Amino acid sequence: MLNGLHIEGDSPLHRLPARGKLVLLFVTAVGLFLVSDLRVLVPALALSTGLLLSTGVGVREAFRRTRFVLFTVLILAAANYYLHSPHEALVVFCRLAALVLLAAAVTATTGISAFMDEVTRLLMPLERRGLVQAADVSLAVGLVIRFVPEILARYRDIADAHRARGLPVRPLTTLVPLIILTLKDADTIAMAIDARGFRRH
Amino acid sequence: MDIVFTAATVRYGGRDARPPLHLALCERRMGVVGLNGSGKTTMARLINGLVKPSEGAVTVEGLDTVTDEKAARGKTGFIFQNPQHQMILPVLAEDIAFGLKNRGFTKAEIAERTEAILARFDIAHLARRRVHELSGGETQLAAIASVLVTGPDLLILDEPTNQLDLRNRAMIERTLAGLPEQVIVITHDLALLDGFDRVLVFHAGRLAADGRPAEAVAAYREIAAC
Repeated sequence: MLNGLHIEGDSPLHRLPARGKLVLLFVTAVGLFLVSDLRVLVPALALSTGLLLSTGVGVREAFRRTRFVLFTVLILAAANYYLHSPHEALVVFCRLAALVLLAAAVTATTGISAFMDEVTRLLMPLERRGLVQAADVSLAVGLVIRFVPEILARYRDIADAHRARGLPVRPLTTLVPLIILTLKDADTIAMAIDARGFRRH
Repeated sequence: MDIVFTAATVRYGGRDARPPLHLALCERRMGVVGLNGSGKTTMARLINGLVKPSEGAVTVEGLDTVTDEKAARGKTGFIFQNPQHQMILPVLAEDIAFGLKNRGFTKAEIAERTEAILARFDIAHLARRRVHELSGGETQLAAIASVLVTGPDLLILDEPTNQLDLRNRAMIERTLAGLPEQVIVITHDLALLDGFDRVLVFHAGRLAADGRPAEAVAAYREIAAC
C-alpha cells in the first residue's frame, strides 16, 4: 500500500499533486459506474493500463501488485457470465479492472506523507464541527500503512515457530498470538507517538 | 541540562513500583543498569513524561514533566528498545520530516533539516528506504536521526545495542561517543559504559549505586551475583 508500493519517478502522474490524483480517481470511479458501453470501458481499461505502466512499475511488478484484486474481479465477471450474459461479464471486468489499475497507478505515484496531508485537509470541515481530529485520523491511516509489513512479518514468524515445533499452522493458533503481540506493540507505538510529539493536541 | 527527581514515586495499581527517588542528573553521558524489572525504564520514562510520578516531581531544565509536559518533552528524545516501533511513516526521509512538520516547520526548513540530519549520521543513502527493510544498525541510526532532528537537548536510549552484531554495536558506540547532546543510556551492555561520566544502578526499584562506571558496574556485578 502507498509507500510500501510507492515508486520513485518523474512520470506525469508523479508530477500531479496528490489531491489531483485522488480527485481523478474519484471522478473516474463514478464515471465508470455510470457507463456500461464497452466502446468506452475497453479504452478506459487500456488507458488505465497505460497509466500504470507509465509510472515505471514494469509489467511483471504491475501484475504482481494487482493480481489478487484482478483475480477477484475475474471471479465477479465469471459470476456475471453465468448469471447474466457474456456482455455483462465483460462490462464488469473492464469497469473494475480499469479502476483497480488506475488505483494502482495512483498508489505507485503518491507518497504516504502527501496522502496523509490530503486526508487531513479533507477532514478539516469535520474537525471544525468537533466531530474528529483530522490529524489523528490521517496519522491512523499512516500507521496502518506503515505497520502492515510488520504484522505480516510477525505472522510469518509465528507460522515458522509452529513449523519449527512440528505443529500444524492453524488459523486459531496463529491469529491469537498475532493479535496479542500486535496489541502489545500498539501500546509501545502509542507511547512512541507521544514521545516524538506527533499528536498536536 | 539538569534533570531533577524530587521524591518521585510511581504507583501501579495502588502499590509503589518504586520508592521516592531523589536524584539530580547533569552529566553529559550517563548510563543506567540493573536487573530486568529493576525500574530502569520507568526512571527513564519519568524524564520525558511518558510515565507520570504519582507523587513528587520530575523536572527537566526546570520544566515539570506533568504541568509543563509538552515543553519538557520537547527537550528530550527517546529511543525505544525496539526502534522499529517508533518509525511511524514507511519511508525514512518522510518519517524524519514528519516530526518536523508536526512542530510547524516550513517545507524549506523541513527539507534542509532532513538532509542535514541524514548527512550527519551518514545515512543519506537510506533516505528513500522503507523503514521495515532497514537492518538493526541502520534502524538504530535512523531512529536516532529522526529523534535528534527536532533538536532535543537530551537523548535517552533504551538498550540501544540489544540484538546488534559486533560491527553495528561498535558503530552505535562510536555514534554515542560523538553526540554533542546529553545522553542517558539504559543498557545491559556494560562495555558500552566505558568512558561515561556517571552510571546509576537500580535494584528492586531503588537506586542501589551511583558513581563512576567502574565503581557502579562493580556494584552491579555484586547485585547480579546474589
